[in-house]
Amino acid sequence: MNKALRSLAEAALALSLAAAPVAAKDRADAAQGAGADVAASDYRPLPRQDMVLVGATILDGAGRRLIGDVLVRDGRIVEVGAIADAGNAKRIDATGRWLTPGLIDIHTHYGTFLLPQSDSGGDWSDITERSAPNVADTAIEHAVRSSDPGFSHALAGGVTTAQILPGSSVLIGGRSVIVHTIPTVTLAQMRFPGAPQGLKMACGGNSVNEGTFPTSRQGQIAGLKRALQEAELYLAKQGGGEKSGRKPHGPPGGRQGGGEAREATLAAAIAGELPVHLHCYRADDIATWLAVLKDFGITRVTVHHAAEAYKIAPMLARENVCVAVWPDWWGFKREAEDGIPENAAFIDAAGGCAIMHSDIPMLGSLLNIETAKAAAAGRRAGLDIPPERAIRWITSNAARAIGLEHRIGTIAPGMNADLVVWSGDPFSVFSKPDLVLIEGAVAFDRSDKSRRPVSDFELGRPQREGIE
Amino acid sequence: MRALVALALLVCAVPAFSQTLAITNARLLDGDRDETGVTIVVQGGTIASVARGGAVPQGAQVIDAGGRPVTAPLSAAATQIGVIGMGGATNTEDSAATSTVLGGAFDISRALDPDALTIQEARAQGVGKAMVFPTQRSGAFGGAGALVDLDPAGPLLKERQAALFATSSGSTSGGSRAAAWSLIRNALAEARRPADPANRPRDDLLGPAEIEALRPVLARRIPLAVAANRTADIREAIALSRDFGIRVVVIGGAEAWRLAEQLAQAQVSVVLDPLDELPFSYESVGTRRDNAALLAKAGVSMAFMVSGQTIYLSYNVGAGLREGAGIAAANGLSRGDALRAITSGMARVWTGKASAGIAAGAPADLVIWDGDPLEPSSAPARVILGGKPVSPVTRQTLLRDRYHPRRSDDPMPPAYR
Repeated sequence: MNKALRSLAEAALALSLAAAPVAAKDRADAAQGAGADVAASDYRPLPRQDMVLVGATILDGAGRRLIGDVLVRDGRIVEVGAIADAGNAKRIDATGRWLTPGLIDIHTHYGTFLLPQSDSGGDWSDITERSAPNVADTAIEHAVRSSDPGFSHALAGGVTTAQILPGSSVLIGGRSVIVHTIPTVTLAQMRFPGAPQGLKMACGGNSVNEGTFPTSRQGQIAGLKRALQEAELYLAKQGGGEKSGRKPHGPPGGRQGGGEAREATLAAAIAGELPVHLHCYRADDIATWLAVLKDFGITRVTVHHAAEAYKIAPMLARENVCVAVWPDWWGFKREAEDGIPENAAFIDAAGGCAIMHSDIPMLGSLLNIETAKAAAAGRRAGLDIPPERAIRWITSNAARAIGLEHRIGTIAPGMNADLVVWSGDPFSVFSKPDLVLIEGAVAFDRSDKSRRPVSDFELGRPQREGIE
Repeated sequence: MRALVALALLVCAVPAFSQTLAITNARLLDGDRDETGVTIVVQGGTIASVARGGAVPQGAQVIDAGGRPVTAPLSAAATQIGVIGMGGATNTEDSAATSTVLGGAFDISRALDPDALTIQEARAQGVGKAMVFPTQRSGAFGGAGALVDLDPAGPLLKERQAALFATSSGSTSGGSRAAAWSLIRNALAEARRPADPANRPRDDLLGPAEIEALRPVLARRIPLAVAANRTADIREAIALSRDFGIRVVVIGGAEAWRLAEQLAQAQVSVVLDPLDELPFSYESVGTRRDNAALLAKAGVSMAFMVSGQTIYLSYNVGAGLREGAGIAAANGLSRGDALRAITSGMARVWTGKASAGIAAGAPADLVIWDGDPLEPSSAPARVILGGKPVSPVTRQTLLRDRYHPRRSDDPMPPAYR
């Protein structure tokens, strides 16, 4: 999240929010080396029936484009291609329309950068717990208001899975949560069953403080190392050090408190169970942080915002690091001074894992357009980026970054039937999602009001009378 | 997906530079017309002729548009290019003053910097003209906005104090909208009295500089721009225009669709953000993506600004405007109206007069696009301002070329490339 937005969102957070206690279960699971896959989900698929989508131009998310059919049974994709016998599945004619996997947005603040924004203190912004540089013991799921109108807005834009991240105001910001974009009453009902959590970290300007540690980039690295060393000790104590086959770095320079939940979370990242999501813009910062993380055995990393990723694209590809960017943000702060629209295309051309993210709610329903702009910039620079390649930036690549590539992000037998039927080429501003399926159920239907969720917030407001 | 043609346009080389330029095989789009095979002949800084299949004068430099769209340059109805250089760098940031002394006398034009990268980038994105407005940090009046012209051959400033900006938000006026409206109404009332300093009541709130800034508003020479999104605030803005007989432009207008008829009747224009869809604040609960379509249907004069939480407003103003227009067109606004809202709409809103458009005798400001200008994936193939092609080289294209994948095996570090 950019600094302007951060200050907008958090300026009013004069009240220090009490850190939410981490569930004992989290801690126990982390200690057992299962820290990445914790709290239970109360999610239930919406009512659904088997269906066959016929005749669409399919971008399968794995790099293929074909005209064909997709058969969906019991919430899973069972067949792709020319389907002769779909049995009793409901037939939906998608001729002339386009079909993509449900879009995946790996960087959102839904429910915590709460709409509408107001200035009534902690009622509207819980993006970051800012009382310490390491709040790895916090989990953003404890703050999410699931009736944020942003969720249904994203769903109407074709997004079926979203990661809600803590903010970037501190070094180690806590655990993320991954949700289906079906607005429900509690967060648990939205939670993607079995999805790993992620761990947010932030380099550079946003997490540098005035007066309190860390006040500089070098201080940030010292703080990061200290936290990771404490986690290694914790891991060794739990026997996890042996499991990872690595020797810990030795005693940390000094403990900073926080209890074992912080160590457990970082230990899970070291053990490879908790993918790290690193907010970082500058190429030098990215390289520095990746080197430290790698030194501690953390290699499942996605760099977010990454305005200068294009300067080190081959290195990022070599390190197997995903990079989530905007197509055209530059200049709004010094760390983004060198942002160029070819960023994603250059990452892709180097063989890297390029991803488009929204960060701000307005872009949550425009991921297809964000991708269209970034791909077009690459084509103008002479790179070959057809639609079937670009769609990966908001489907399979994004799934990989959040550890769900075996369940979502591609249209293939066995995958969740998270699908979007677009009225036309999804990279045209004139195309819209006609139908959005989540696990084979219609979660959004542009032509059926009963399948277009409206948040509690929007009810009964005279200003919204007449808005469909 | 429609194939995007690579950037190179066929430029049939003629002697290095000639005063006459001919753009052939253009698809002319101006909101009203959509004509193919058009030849536009430019002499000096002026359009000499526009004709389907028109002849190319002897010795003219020819740019073959290859059937691609040609429009007037984009016009940003509200932006801060030229007064914002780099976000967060306060020494490049002049968009606002917190001084309560200046009020309406704050004149943004004095801070304009033609070398700002926001200007360079806007020009490359096909922006030709813009209203640069002040940010509101104190009081009810933010100060005067300036009309700018991005032709690099001429002065950036086209007209200083081209509109006066105010806000209906109470946050800078003591915490209540009622205070903001009282301050605005009082200021207009004080400025309306005869200009005899000796006879001014001692309890007047305005100083001479602010009175001077308000006079052109009362004379209807420039409009008063009032930031308002909430229905009740827009209604107050309409009342203000009626009570003082002044031209009012509503900035924001998230709920303007609810007062479309009244706005049209009062001839109050709206500068709106077509990317608004979410209730970002309690002032925009009734926001909707077909706001522009509903206003157009009622005949409200409008132009677009696209904020993108301020990212698009100044850093990506051209691309942002086109994306906004594309979204509006995808949500019920006609393509012509959408194009007008990001080209000629600005002049109509701020000056009350239509801009000259693409016609013989008009300034030769044109953009050739590499695709549908309403598609965000398109970009300018050629920007022509004041009759001359603008250099496509920007800081961003230099970074692009320096770090292009084809150079990844270059043994020399980027600083040597």
